[in-house]
Amino acid sequence: MEYIKPFKRILLVGCNECVTVCAAGGRKEVGLLASGLHMAVLKSGATIEIREHTLERQCDPEYVEELVPMIDGVEAVMSMACGCGVQEIARRFKNKPVFPALNTKFMGASERQGVWSERCQGCGDCLLGMTGGICPIARCAKQLMNGPCGGSTGGHCEIGEDTDCAWALIWERLKALGQIERYVEITPAKDWRPGGGSGPRKIIREDLAE
Amino acid sequence: MSFQKRLQAKEFVVLAEMHTPKGVNISRLVNDARRIKGRVDAIVVPDMDNGIMRMNALAGGVLMQQQGVEAIIHLYCRDRNRMALQGDILAAHVLGIHNLLVVRGEEMSQGDHSEAKAVDDVDECGLLGAIGTLQKGKDMAGFDLDGAPTFFSGASLAPCADEAALEREVAFAAKKVAAGARWLLTPPVYDVARFAAFYERVKGLGVPVVPTVFLLKSLAIAQYIANSEPGANISDELIRRIRKSSDREQEGIHIAGETVAALKPMVQGVLVQTLGWEHKLPAILDVAGL
Repeated sequence: MEYIKPFKRILLVGCNECVTVCAAGGRKEVGLLASGLHMAVLKSGATIEIREHTLERQCDPEYVEELVPMIDGVEAVMSMACGCGVQEIARRFKNKPVFPALNTKFMGASERQGVWSERCQGCGDCLLGMTGGICPIARCAKQLMNGPCGGSTGGHCEIGEDTDCAWALIWERLKALGQIERYVEITPAKDWRPGGGSGPRKIIREDLAE
Repeated sequence: MSFQKRLQAKEFVVLAEMHTPKGVNISRLVNDARRIKGRVDAIVVPDMDNGIMRMNALAGGVLMQQQGVEAIIHLYCRDRNRMALQGDILAAHVLGIHNLLVVRGEEMSQGDHSEAKAVDDVDECGLLGAIGTLQKGKDMAGFDLDGAPTFFSGASLAPCADEAALEREVAFAAKKVAAGARWLLTPPVYDVARFAAFYERVKGLGVPVVPTVFLLKSLAIAQYIANSEPGANISDELIRRIRKSSDREQEGIHIAGETVAALKPMVQGVLVQTLGWEHKLPAILDVAGL
């Protein structure tokens, strides 16, 4: 709300990809947020015009180009995409303020209807082959590489009963797979460079890049 | 004789735990150390691993050494990356501390600075490996050191609530020994018979195992631990004993002393945790006949 306070006309942009799947920033949520913002602004005694548009994908410049005819008619843009989409719009439209409507949290999977949980932190040095397909970087609160901490009780993490202990899962799975030797082997201190330890990361596919 | 030499000579060691202050008033810490001097072989000084910001263990350990008491300082991975850890380890050696205990840090959100960012650059095995590497005259990146430190390092074990956790913990303890732990500290023992069964599983790891004995200061604390830590094994009988006692404070001291005495024939040493009641240590050791 504070972000859009100074403006009379904004563009609220959704994205048809991941944020649609997790019901956070698709066409439907754009409609809901626009109505909510409308009411809130009216209640505060001001008025605002909110234009709505949902792009196929906000993280690709080709799709963001679609906003060109709309952008001059608004004072600011609010993006309901993940942080990648917000930044792509900011990169394309240099003279327009862009604000995030979401707090992008993690790369996760659907546990069940309406429940998502973190599965991958993009560490760039995948351990899943050693850990029975369960990631201790994304799913252990302490990112332990060799075994559980003292807070593992009854298969739960100490941060809460609704969080599984990744190492309890890894142990059980390796046992079931007959791969206990993978647990016994000491995993050395991790090289965090591919995981962002040496700054923003980039992937260049020579065969695809122009 | 030093803590290391006593353990290696298979003599029984008595350890006490003393926390550094949250602040700079060290008078209690120093007084407690002076009071217990001569009755314990070394004092374990925790760092901020329980999640409470306080003066660091390195300074606490130096204070112990200044009182003529050998120190064992905690080292853990939550708050320091491999650069800071190695720097502290080198500093510890130079300041006269030769015993390190690698422990697990309480999860950041459970501490008193719950908004802080955890580091967790390396884990316990990584840290034990780093200590070993430094002792060989190299740092973790493979660069030569100008003077290598020497340490006697231990690791801690976690409480286990069930058989699956126990099996996993024993396998993990073996990894820590392989990574360089030369002794192991167990969680508090409230049931000596149950501990004996646990001890059977870990004594074959080839390093001395030192159990912890925790002073139950009140009935409420005993009940809290019994309810919140399924792996602690506080029996109903023990709770009843404290409840029925006319002097519960004294009862706690007796329970701790009796536990130490009962463990003595089985193990190589014991750590007495008194959590703020360090002035009760002499009484506990009296009951234990030490």
